[in-house]
Amino acid sequence: MRRILGILLIPAIAGCGWMIFFWVPAEASMGIVQKIMYIHVPSVMVAYFSFFIAFISSVGYLWKRKEGFDIVACSTVEIGVIFCGIAIVTGSIWARPTWNTYWSWDPRLTTALILFLIFVGYILLRRFTTYGEQQARLSAVIAIVGCLDIPLIHMSVVWWRTLHQPSTILSTQKNVIDRPLAIMLWISVFTMALLFAYLLSMRIELEQKTRAYLKQIANIY
Amino acid sequence: MVSDIWTILAKDIKLDFRSMENFFSMLFFSIIILLIFAFALPADTHDHKTLAPGIFWVTFLLSGMLSLNKSFQMEKENGSMEALLVSPTSRGAIFLGKMAGNTVFIMIIQAMLIPLFSLLFINTAISHFGELLLLSLISTIGFTAIGTLLSGLTTDLRFKDILLPILLFPLLVPLLLASVKITQGILWSQGFQSELDWVKLLIGFDLMFLIISYLTFDFVMEI
Repeated sequence: MRRILGILLIPAIAGCGWMIFFWVPAEASMGIVQKIMYIHVPSVMVAYFSFFIAFISSVGYLWKRKEGFDIVACSTVEIGVIFCGIAIVTGSIWARPTWNTYWSWDPRLTTALILFLIFVGYILLRRFTTYGEQQARLSAVIAIVGCLDIPLIHMSVVWWRTLHQPSTILSTQKNVIDRPLAIMLWISVFTMALLFAYLLSMRIELEQKTRAYLKQIANIY
Repeated sequence: MVSDIWTILAKDIKLDFRSMENFFSMLFFSIIILLIFAFALPADTHDHKTLAPGIFWVTFLLSGMLSLNKSFQMEKENGSMEALLVSPTSRGAIFLGKMAGNTVFIMIIQAMLIPLFSLLFINTAISHFGELLLLSLISTIGFTAIGTLLSGLTTDLRFKDILLPILLFPLLVPLLLASVKITQGILWSQGFQSELDWVKLLIGFDLMFLIISYLTFDFVMEI
């Protein structure tokens, strides 16, 4: 299964890259810079999707106490944090030419940043605990609390800035998307989803092997 | 249930006021933070006016951390954690009792800090003492709800002193934003009424985390 995914991924990424640069027309007002969207938007979607899976599997772990849920949760959080980081960095790069600043306290940006921090905390918590039932339990609680906080964070951050700044920044973002651009965006989302599935299956296998090894050591001594 | 909560709360308060160590360390820590802000920031009163709400809530967060840190540490040091857990009280009652204890301590500190804050940064603050204290109470409930959960979660871990703020502060962003906004409303304009949306958000935050923390505390405190 994973082999097939891996084999599919190579032409998918290559084809997607080729299409981004040679097939799809550049956006009228932003020019070539806009092509970063095909990395940025799918990364955000993958990041949010991974955190959502992490939330579901954390609830599943606390409910059913199956180790598989914990493995999925920790794998998805790691992948989610990486994609969230990619989204923030590409967003900053995109923001420089279009909004004329690397960072603005735009609600979506801020939410992504806080989400990134919450789940970096999750990874640190896993680092500071040793493999075992306690680690799984505590990190599941953090994942649940963190995910449930997202709507509140988003709401508060939206109010926080819209009271201050007129939404000149947002209006430039809401351009009506052209048809080839939209198709391209969906293709890149699909490619990124494939990449996510591949990374997830790799990470899960790695985690299973690590745990099997740790159990073996624990039995020897 | 209520009597269990009350017992744990009374025990915490009694222990603390017998030695006064935690109370005084919290109080002086907060005073020092306020003084450091006073030294570090420009002496211009106009600047103080704009910065004051932020200063007040940063001091609140930092001094509140001390209360959370010692909340379960106290039980660990005396080896009474196991006794507490095997006693015939529900985990929920332990959580609510500990949370009430933290709330009481933070509220006493806040009541003492408001006059000092008013003296150092914004003279009109003292005339809004009641409003600021009420706001502090609402914020403190949200802060201690999630803070007590995470404090219980991190007691057993290595590097818990650093892990607690790393986990806690990002989650508290809505609370901090709402508190600062409402304080601005109180200090600069007509009071609570001008920031009603934020008040609703803050109360929503309190209720949500009170319920979530109450429900998940069982999982944190398993042996």
